Amino acid sequence: MTTIRPFTCEDMLKFNNVNLDPLTETYGLSFYTQYLAHWPEYFQVVESANGEIMGYIMGKAEGHGDNWHGHVTALTVGPEYRRLGLAATLMNILEEVSEKKKAYFVDLFVRVSNKVAINMYKNLGYIVYRTVLEYYSGDPDEDAYDMRKACSRDVNKKSVIPLTHPVRPEDVD
Amino acid sequence: MAVRPQHVHDGGIVERRLRPIYDWLDNGNNKKALQEAEKVLKKSPSLQAARALKALALFRLGKGSEAHSVLDALAEEKPSDDTTLQAMTISYRESQQLHKVCALYEAAVKAEPTSEELHSHLFMSYVRVGDYRSQQRAAMGLYKFAPKNPYYFWAVMSIVLQAKTSEDTTKRGILLALAQRMVDNFISDNKMEAEQEARLYIMILELQEKWEDILKFIESPLYSQLVPGSTAQACIPYLTKLGLWKRLNLVCKELLYENIDRWDYYLPYFDSVFQLMKQNEEDPECTVDNTAEKCHEFICQLVESMSSGRTLRGPYLARLELWKRLSVDGDPTSLLGSGLSLCVQYLRVFANKACAVPDLRPYLPMIPQKEREENCRDFLTCLGFDENSEPETTDDIQRHVSCLTAWRLTAAPLSADEALSLATKLRDHYMRCLKLGLVTATITEFCAPDAYGILAAHHYFYAAVMQQSSAPIVEALCLLELVLHHSPANFHAKLLLVKFYHLLGGALAADSVYGRLEVKHIQLLSLGWLHGARLAPACAATRALQLLADTRGFHTHHSKDSVEHLTYAYKYGTFEKLVELGNWGNRLEACGWAASAARDRALLSLLAGPPAPLHQPTRLPAQPTDNRDLNVIVNFEPPQFEDIHLKSRTFDQEMSYLKLKDALVSAIALCIELADNRSVEEKKDHYEQLNVCVDAFSQAMDKCKQMYGEKERICISAPFPSRIIAFVNSPVPYRELYCTTLRLVGELALGRAAPVHSACAAAQGLLPNAQAQLATELHFGPDAAWNMRDCLEHLSNYLEFIGIITFLLGVCNELTAPASTKKSKKKINQSPDELKTSELLNNLNRTVQSSILYLEGVLDDWPKYEFGDLDQKLSNLTIDTKYQSPVESKLKAGREDMINDVRYILKRKSKYLKTLQ
Repeated sequence: MTTIRPFTCEDMLKFNNVNLDPLTETYGLSFYTQYLAHWPEYFQVVESANGEIMGYIMGKAEGHGDNWHGHVTALTVGPEYRRLGLAATLMNILEEVSEKKKAYFVDLFVRVSNKVAINMYKNLGYIVYRTVLEYYSGDPDEDAYDMRKACSRDVNKKSVIPLTHPVRPEDVD
Repeated sequence: MAVRPQHVHDGGIVERRLRPIYDWLDNGNNKKALQEAEKVLKKSPSLQAARALKALALFRLGKGSEAHSVLDALAEEKPSDDTTLQAMTISYRESQQLHKVCALYEAAVKAEPTSEELHSHLFMSYVRVGDYRSQQRAAMGLYKFAPKNPYYFWAVMSIVLQAKTSEDTTKRGILLALAQRMVDNFISDNKMEAEQEARLYIMILELQEKWEDILKFIESPLYSQLVPGSTAQACIPYLTKLGLWKRLNLVCKELLYENIDRWDYYLPYFDSVFQLMKQNEEDPECTVDNTAEKCHEFICQLVESMSSGRTLRGPYLARLELWKRLSVDGDPTSLLGSGLSLCVQYLRVFANKACAVPDLRPYLPMIPQKEREENCRDFLTCLGFDENSEPETTDDIQRHVSCLTAWRLTAAPLSADEALSLATKLRDHYMRCLKLGLVTATITEFCAPDAYGILAAHHYFYAAVMQQSSAPIVEALCLLELVLHHSPANFHAKLLLVKFYHLLGGALAADSVYGRLEVKHIQLLSLGWLHGARLAPACAATRALQLLADTRGFHTHHSKDSVEHLTYAYKYGTFEKLVELGNWGNRLEACGWAASAARDRALLSLLAGPPAPLHQPTRLPAQPTDNRDLNVIVNFEPPQFEDIHLKSRTFDQEMSYLKLKDALVSAIALCIELADNRSVEEKKDHYEQLNVCVDAFSQAMDKCKQMYGEKERICISAPFPSRIIAFVNSPVPYRELYCTTLRLVGELALGRAAPVHSACAAAQGLLPNAQAQLATELHFGPDAAWNMRDCLEHLSNYLEFIGIITFLLGVCNELTAPASTKKSKKKINQSPDELKTSELLNNLNRTVQSSILYLEGVLDDWPKYEFGDLDQKLSNLTIDTKYQSPVESKLKAGREDMINDVRYILKRKSKYLKTLQ
């Protein structure tokens, strides 16, 4: 039971029941508004019948040539609404938008410790493309997996041949 | 903000020379940047870009006037190179002089009329100041020699914005017709090429309420080419507008067959069914659902169509929605059975999901209260559980928790003893799970048994409020700290801990948990009521100042930034978002809490801040906006307790309080202005303004006293009662105290001896009385912890007054002995009146000092938190000896820190007052 609609500015006033989750980052205001202004179709919210925000996805399209791809910046589902398949629904939307934009692949970064999320992405067809060392700052810094899934435009699935060596954050474009 | 322009055209010598200046500016080392700029200018004194960067460095170093003279001189030269213009733009933006950017680019475009880039900068400069007409002109100018789609639609959007803001309906109509014609022409020339252009066209038609035209457009091949695969969904709002219920019905059914969980399709489907029911037409082909029976039949089909693997909530919830809508003017029982059994059935199917109860909540009020209460145990027992069941798998625990919660949401409220005994039972459930290793939370996921603890805490709270007793809150705090210890991601536990520590006046204890919520940015506004607003009334002045400054910082930063979002929206052609971003910017600009935080901070700084000029806030918003998220704490009271006016009522109270505070800040600001060394004649205007301000404050106090006489109920999910209630109902004569002191400064500034003397005497007479009244307010009774919050609030009000009167006595001192002449002229040539004035001011000063002494005595006797049987309570929570409950130490340490903080503040005030004598 889900309403799927574009994220709006006012949602920022009521996303606390999702954002108070420790792994969901609350960004500075202009980060959200920049995404809304630039990639509104990539910023979608799932809402329950009682008007509560159950989760949202925030993404963008970027890159040149065969690196043109959709990117998941944030994907989060509130604790009460997990294990309902909402993350998959949201990822689907992002993949569809990326298909429409003729992207070669979709990628995302995830903490290597976030087993639940990594498994979910694997089930959705994502592979670990490479490890990005010390991508998340903290104490200590944490590595990220750069996970990818090819879009239909990448016929030979070139974009999802995993790298054998980890990379540094500054080498990620 | 990075200064370096994105494209530097000349890769040569100038760029090389400027590079170090950019580097220093971007690193925030403005002093070095200035030196570097001077160096470059020595070699080539007329280099405009270097001068512009020098101005920026000067500005960032706080040398505004020097910066502006450089900028003005540059502007005279009408520069047209990008580097210079961009650096100047940043300076103007940071100094909030956006209009000057327009003039800058107007001149530049004249100098280089064919530069696409300059024209586009000119357009953006108009966007920043919201000059839609000039925007339109600039965009069309741009399109003429660079015929690209975005420019054309910039012009169209600029016209739409003129229409939207026009109050003249004829003009509005003409503008919209023009905008539409422009797009129509584009469409017939086959030039439309982007989704956002199509959306802008729909927006124009919407503003003219041309619903049919919109439908036609959505169904056109052009639309499906630009926005593939969404035609049916896009039609829904317009079919509704046009009342084309049959079509709407069929469209929604079609969509629902494909997506049986999409609530945004169910709602218009139901709208269509209920409209068609009213029309009561024969439908021989039976294609549309125009009766409750057909509607029910359709929902049943959807339920049956689900594959066995996955049960979706949509169709089940749709049945509840149907029941709810039918029950408005009829009895759906014969068709659907009782609402109660439908709800129970829903729970039975989905109780293993944490969302089951949140889903059900909106439908519980449709069951009559009596029926609900009589059958509440059906919810508890529908899966074979009762309150004593001891499930042993995670799934069963979730089911048990859902059943328990639904039961509590439907049952009649319990007495205090019953609530306590249920709370104990729920706590035991939690402890049992903990002992059996069923608490499986990780740092990111909480777990089902947590809910036992949360629900127990709620019941402790109910008992505490009924008994007016702190003991159950302490139990709840101990339990919640334990839950949080084992389930560090559980923000429900964190929120309740913050709330309950505050309930017992433990603001600094609350602060220790608040930190773990990591509230920041926009949350400072939406959650400010939870903690930021409660620190000052709990006498945690120093911490309050920090958090209020953060809030203020976020808000000012936002207002500087918000126009840039509009330029992005144009840049990326997201026209729909443009309007939204504009409204959002205005909404936040007028945020009521941000306005309050600014004033609270200004006043509290006088008490607890370092000596600094008054933090004069920006003007009060004409219509403050309520941006509080009051749904963040979940409430488990049955529906009859829901207070639908709570949000607006508490907001009104806060805004009344804001106005009182605003009047005080304005009056103090006027007092400061009156203390300069102008002649009496020149000060008359300010004197009048001060009197008007004081009168307004006085009247508002009276009015608020009449309006806010009633005590507010303390509710677990709502903010604590507004500060205005304690303030205006206090027996301490705050109205007289503030008015007399403020008027005293005014009279003194005008040198009117008689009124000065009588104001001095009046203030001095009021203080002992105020002190005595404060003593009656500080009534702790036998349960000091329970009354701590109220008493602290009373104390904080008095402290705030002490801060202000001390500050104002400083202002009086400036007036009687201006700082510059203090030493030399002291006690020379004073008239008898002046002598009397100093004597009276000194007397008043001494009385304030003795009031401070009195307060220090109050602090000496300030009650401690006593927890007689805490060990007993904690032993119920022990499973391993390593865990030590932090509740007692947090409350005690918080109290110590608070007292020391206030003591230190008072000491400083005392010392300062002595220097004035």
